[in-house]
Amino acid sequence: MKTIQTKMPEELYQKAMALVKEGWFKDEEDIFLEAIRRFLDSHRPALMEKFVLDDVEWGLHGDD
Amino acid sequence: MAMIESSIVCDSGPIIHLDELNCLRLLRDFKAAFLPDAVWKEVSFHRSSALEKSGVVFERCAGKIPSDEQLLTMCRIYSLDAGETEALALMEKSPQSIFLTDDASARLVGQQMGFRVHGTIGVLVRSLRREQMKPEQVVDLLSQIPLKSSLYIKRSLLNEIVLRIREEYHI
Repeated sequence: MKTIQTKMPEELYQKAMALVKEGWFKDEEDIFLEAIRRFLDSHRPALMEKFVLDDVEWGLHGDD
Repeated sequence: MAMIESSIVCDSGPIIHLDELNCLRLLRDFKAAFLPDAVWKEVSFHRSSALEKSGVVFERCAGKIPSDEQLLTMCRIYSLDAGETEALALMEKSPQSIFLTDDASARLVGQQMGFRVHGTIGVLVRSLRREQMKPEQVVDLLSQIPLKSSLYIKRSLLNEIVLRIREEYHI
């Protein structure tokens, strides 16, 4: 496992900690790992590349 | 330049990125440009000048969450922020509009809902078809994205786009 140090808005941190206190997650690390995993799932390079190339096609040959 | 019939609903990304490239004027030919309240606040905070000097008349709209349960659920699943969620709620009310976002998750959700979704790159390239800029200018702008803009895009993909434009316009 890699250890990273980062800064985040206080409000976001408090919301994450509230989930831990309520028992939805083991600890904040659990939340951040899950959040990053979901982010990576929806930001796959092939998908982002497709979006950009679709944009180019629209830009060149769209009708609006 | 004639107006087109389509309106746009904007997320903050394209407004900020186009302004960084001094290209917000490219949005002038849309019929209307709607900004939900959360996006208005994001842009005001990060780049207040964008809302003032571009000549684009942005219409600030009340921030609402989507009423469609499927859309709201997807916004939650993909952890969309307030601006993206409110923009999609606006799209729900105005589905014939074009949703402008540079966020992959927001785009994914918008497309799942059947909305037309495009981003900064699309607007820049569209300026050729709309004869707002010359091919050389667009190529130059695309090359400046890593230097002047906070839009992150893979360098090789950017090169591919430039090549495509050069081929298309024989430059």
